Parts: sequence; C-alpha cells; structure tokens
Amino acid sequence: MPIDPAVQSLQLLVDLPFREGYVRSIVSVSLYVSLIAVALSTLFSIPVAVVLGFNDFPGKGLVKAVINTGMGFPSVVVGLVVLFAVSNQGPLGSLNLLFTKQAMILSQFVLATPPITAISLAAITGVDEDVRDAARALGGTRLDAALVVLKEARYGIATAVLAGFGRAISEVGSVLIVGGNITGADGISKTRTLTTAIQLEARQGQYGTAMVLGGVLLALVLLINAIVVRFGDWGVQR
Amino acid sequence: MLRATAVSRSYGETVVFENLSIDVEPGEVVAVIGPSGIGKTTLLRTLALSLEPDEGTVSFDGTDAWEVDDPDRLALRRRIGMVFQAASLFDAPVARNVEYGLRVRRSWPERIRAELRSLVAPSGTADAVRDALDIVGLDDKRAQHVESLSAGEAQRVSFARAVAYDPDVLLLDEPTSDLDPRNTAVIEDAIAEARDRRIGVVVATHDMYQAERVADRVAVLLDGGVTEVGPTERVFDDPRDPRTRRFIDGELVY
Ligand SMILES: Nc1ncnc2c1ncn2[C@@H]1O[C@H](COP(=O)(O)OP(=O)(O)OP(=O)(O)O)[C@@H](O)[C@H]1O
Ligand SMILES: [Mg+2]
Repeated sequence: MPIDPAVQSLQLLVDLPFREGYVRSIVSVSLYVSLIAVALSTLFSIPVAVVLGFNDFPGKGLVKAVINTGMGFPSVVVGLVVLFAVSNQGPLGSLNLLFTKQAMILSQFVLATPPITAISLAAITGVDEDVRDAARALGGTRLDAALVVLKEARYGIATAVLAGFGRAISEVGSVLIVGGNITGADGISKTRTLTTAIQLEARQGQYGTAMVLGGVLLALVLLINAIVVRFGDWGVQR
Repeated sequence: MLRATAVSRSYGETVVFENLSIDVEPGEVVAVIGPSGIGKTTLLRTLALSLEPDEGTVSFDGTDAWEVDDPDRLALRRRIGMVFQAASLFDAPVARNVEYGLRVRRSWPERIRAELRSLVAPSGTADAVRDALDIVGLDDKRAQHVESLSAGEAQRVSFARAVAYDPDVLLLDEPTSDLDPRNTAVIEDAIAEARDRRIGVVVATHDMYQAERVADRVAVLLDGGVTEVGPTERVFDDPRDPRTRRFIDGELVY
C-alpha cells in the first residue's frame, strides 16, 4: 500500500527528533558543557582582566598578545592538544577524562577564555580613569575601585561572556575530538552536543532532524542573549 | 594640616612642576590659580594622595603620607574630599553617588546587609546624603540617574559627593566651570560654609575673580612652580614676582 508522502514527512517529524528524549538529552549536554565552561572562563578571565587593566608591568604587552592570539586558536587544534593531555599517555591521563563531558568542558574553557578576557579587558580599559580615581579619592580601597570599574564596564563584560558562550555552544571541532560524539545504547546523548549531532545527522541525510537541532541551537543562543541584555537593563535601573 | 613640601612631578619627559610647596590649614581657603595646562589638576591630585610625587613629601598633620603603609594612607585619604574637574560621577542614581564615600567606610558585612535590605525594601536616603544634596540645591534630584543630569547639576552632585562624609580637607578642581552665575554663587557659599566649619579648602580655578571672592590665600602656579603665595588681597594688589604681575595684569584685563 502506497504511503502518502505528507503522512510520511509528518511521521518523520514526530518520530525522529523527539524520540526517547534524544533532542532533550543533546540540548542538556550542550548547555551543561557550555555553561560550565563559560562560567569557569568568566571566573578566571575577569580577575585576569582586572589585574591587566589596573597594573603596568613588564611583559604586559606579551600577555595581551597571547590573549589576542588565543582568540584565533583553531578549535580543532585546541581539541587535539586537550585530547593529548587527557589521553592515557598525557599529563591528565590518570583522570580518565577521555570522551567525557569534563574533557569537553576543558577544551571549551580553553576556547572561551581568550575572547572573554580580551573583551572584558577592553571594556575595563575603556572606563574613564577619572571614575576609577574618584572611587579612590572618596575613600575607596583598591577593591572598591575595581568594583566600581567592573560595574561601569558591565555591558562590555556581558558582551564578553556572550561572545564566549557563543563560541562554546556553536563550536564543533574540539568537542568532536575530545568528546567523541557518543550516545548510549538507549540513544541518549553522553557527549553528543547540538553541533556534533547536527553534523552527524546532516552527513547521514537526516536533514529534518538536523534542521530541528539547528533551530534549537539558534533559539538557545537568542534566549541567552535576551537574558543577558535584560540583566544589563536591570543594572541601569538600580 | 595638609602640606606638600618641595614636590616635583613629571609625566615621562614633561616636567609639570618642580620643588613646589603649598599648605592649607583648618578653616582656610587657598586658591590655586594659573593658566590652563600648568598643572593645577596634577597638584590637586598630589594633595589628594592619588598621585605620588616624584620628589618631595605630602604630609597630613605631620605624617608623611607616602612613608606610611597602604591602610594608614587610606585613613589619611579618607579625611580628604575631592571634586574632580570633570564631574566623574558613577553610573548610578544621584543618591548612590553622594552616598559612596559613606558606603566604602562601612565594614563589608554591614555593606552587604545594607545592599540586601535595600533590595527587599528600598530604604530612605541617609541624612548626610540629604544634607549634602541640600547644600547644592539638588535634594529633589536624588532618585534621578546621573546620565540625565545637566553638566552643571553633575558638577554640583560631585560637590555633594565630596562633602557628604564630612572631610577635614576639601580639594576642588574648578568646581564652577560648568555653572551659571547663580549656581556658582551656591558653590561659593558652600565653600564659605565649609570654612566656617573649620574645613581646609584648596580650590583650583582660572577665574581670578572667584579667587578674590572666596580665598584667604592665593597660590599662583606658573612656569613649573608656585611663583607667589600670600594673602589674596596682597597678591592681587601688589604681586612681588614680575611673572605673577604679568599674569594677573594680563588676565584681569578680560
Ligand atoms: N596622565 C597624564 N599623562 C601625561 N601628561 C599629563 C597627564 N596628565 C596631565 N598631563 C600634562 O601635565 C600638564 C598639566 O596638566 P594639568 O591637568 O595638571 O593642568 P591644569 O592646570 O589642571 O589645566 P586645566 O586648567 O586646563 O585643567 C599638561 O601639560 C598635561 O598635558
Ligand atoms: Mg585641570
């Protein structure tokens, strides 16, 4: 009996993407890895940017050059280096991180840190020096002055975190290498992310699934952007 | 009370001043006058303990501020109020700006508690903040964000911010450059009031008439140093240094 093509494509939509929580598990792996990596990057980057922004020391130019170069790191190379580090012979081999989310977090951390640091640094350096001096002159400590500057630079820093998140969640090369794009026997994602899933589905000709996953990825990025912008507005009203 | 002795300051190759001395006592207003770019701001920042002099000393009640360690210098700095030439306000409502000096003087637990409390229930403005805003006639603007202030209002908020924590010394860097005559008078009255409260005031200005109106003593900054310092009337009527005379005659023509 011939199957109506419309029914067939409907079945495709109902069946494939949402089967047994497949999409949900992929989204949660993507978010888990990217959010933790970006959170760690932010915790690391902002103090570094504050130190760089507040102090002059020999070799500062070199440090900045390294950070700027880091923004252009090819992600597959980062993946390769992290793969080596966590492989059995590597320095982190004993931790058994190969093809785990932790290894993916590590490579995403390496990728997200340079843009977050560089953009935060630009934002911090852009704060009027008089404002920083005012905090000190009015009796603030060094920490108080740093807090004032961070507050003045909050939009730039939010942009930095967004850029880092954007790089992490939309990145394919390194998560594929260190994560392995693995699903369990039940079809639930272990280290499969939206990007690696899209690449796999597309290669296998599952365009419908790939498109749905692509839409979800886009929606996530937009949502996170909206949340951060909203936070910025609250900052102004307070 | 606050005294700079034989201070020098350069930016790279540019020498701003050398071997300069100046002091201010409680209840006294000292005007620093001099042409644009001569180093008035640099001198005030040196007095504010924001800028370490290359040579010479800055002392507060006899304590050399750059010989003591950081916490002690912070304690000295906390007795000084500074109004910057550009208002340099923080991106926040007026009241939070004026309150800043009070806030940083509290302990961290207290500050965090106050922040949390204000999140739950926005509390009233502290009396000191209201008083300070009252002095500059801006009490009705305390909830307004500084972004929407006029330049003159911003300058007056900057003044309120510096007097709110009741400093012993007030350093004013051209505090009326953006003000109309009426608001200039407001600030000049506030300066007189500060003097009555035994605050030592140093005001940098290139308006010599203002110096004449508010100052007990005038220091003339020319050619990398103070060419003349003395009682206001004497300096203006009978300058001893020929450079001072030329400067005053030239300027007073306008
Ligand atoms: N951060 C800096 N780096 C380099 N040079 C500086 C710096 N700050 C000030 N200068 C220079 O030092 C000199 C004195 O500047 P300062 O701001 O103290 O002058 P001023 O008397 O306050 O001038 P104005 O009346 O225009 O405010 C100027 O030649 C200025 O270019
Ligand atoms: Mg100046």
